[in-house]
Amino acid sequence: MANILLLEPDNALANVYVKALEQAGHNIACCVAAEEALSVLDDFMPHVVVMELQLTGHNGIEFLHELRSYPDSQNIPVIVNTNLAPAALRPLLEVLDRDLGVRACLYKPRTTLQRLMRIIAEQARG
Amino acid sequence: MKQLVTPAIILSRTDYGEADRILTLLTPEHGKLTLLAKGVRRIKSKLAGGIELFSVSEITFIKGRGEVGTLVSTRLIKHYGHIVGRLERTMLGYELIKQLHKATEDEPEAAYFTLAEQAFEALDDASVDSDLIKLWFAMQLLRLGGHTPNLQSDMAGNRLDVAAVYDFSFDNATFSSNPRGRFTANHIKFLRLGFEGYPPGALMCIQGCRQLVQDTAALVSTMTATYIRR
Repeated sequence: MANILLLEPDNALANVYVKALEQAGHNIACCVAAEEALSVLDDFMPHVVVMELQLTGHNGIEFLHELRSYPDSQNIPVIVNTNLAPAALRPLLEVLDRDLGVRACLYKPRTTLQRLMRIIAEQARG
Repeated sequence: MKQLVTPAIILSRTDYGEADRILTLLTPEHGKLTLLAKGVRRIKSKLAGGIELFSVSEITFIKGRGEVGTLVSTRLIKHYGHIVGRLERTMLGYELIKQLHKATEDEPEAAYFTLAEQAFEALDDASVDSDLIKLWFAMQLLRLGGHTPNLQSDMAGNRLDVAAVYDFSFDNATFSSNPRGRFTANHIKFLRLGFEGYPPGALMCIQGCRQLVQDTAALVSTMTATYIRR
């Protein structure tokens, strides 16, 4: 069982992920915006962060930079699960991996729920 | 203790204790400042709005006895909000701030503050090409560090000729005439304008700008790797 911070602006999709993660026995904090996710971190230290990059307000890159600027959240595994098309994501991959510690980048429309759950479980196990 | 007021741009933010943060800021008059911002951890503090990245804020601070002063208050002067409207632009913005932070000494001249403002301005304008901004920024770091290449005369000391074609020698940071060289008068003119500090928006107006950016990127990036602390 792990603490999962889910940063997902699409409510319908977030509900599906939350149900699946709860069924797998995880504790979930679900947020729709970066500001909300950062404030949640004070009370809920996640073992894994699953997030969209395209958010309203502060975007996912800003969230990641902020997340990594705190010593207690510098090493939390992050899985990016995004609607951003692979061509747009490609130029960002190197920095996401090298500077922001993103462990996996998934293209949402081509990622099954089973695959996402498997990757989260792998990262939660360390 | 005396309170000082200055415009400032955030270069980095790190944690200090439970609720405080250490900010490194670039200012026109005081160089780089390291200040303790009390109670601004995460987003709950009233100070937090004034210490946004990609912004110019007016800060009030107290110089400490040691290296770290104290941030008293902040007032947002200008936020370049369009930078965070595009992920690729946000990423480039962070990259340029990181480069600026590393390249500047403890007491950087005011020109570095202006450079940061101009970079934000360009990043905020969606019509300005990202590759051009990257190249322009590297040119300015070289210029401010005193590493402008010789764009006036060739290796033999002759004035660069409009009709000639050149190669570039990194050892001397000078062009040398070579009929099979890669650089024409247009490339050299473009580099002159760039190294003279013309803003990216102005460089965009040069005919064939995108191609010129592509053709000169390797030259500038090799010089940057040689001379600028990264």
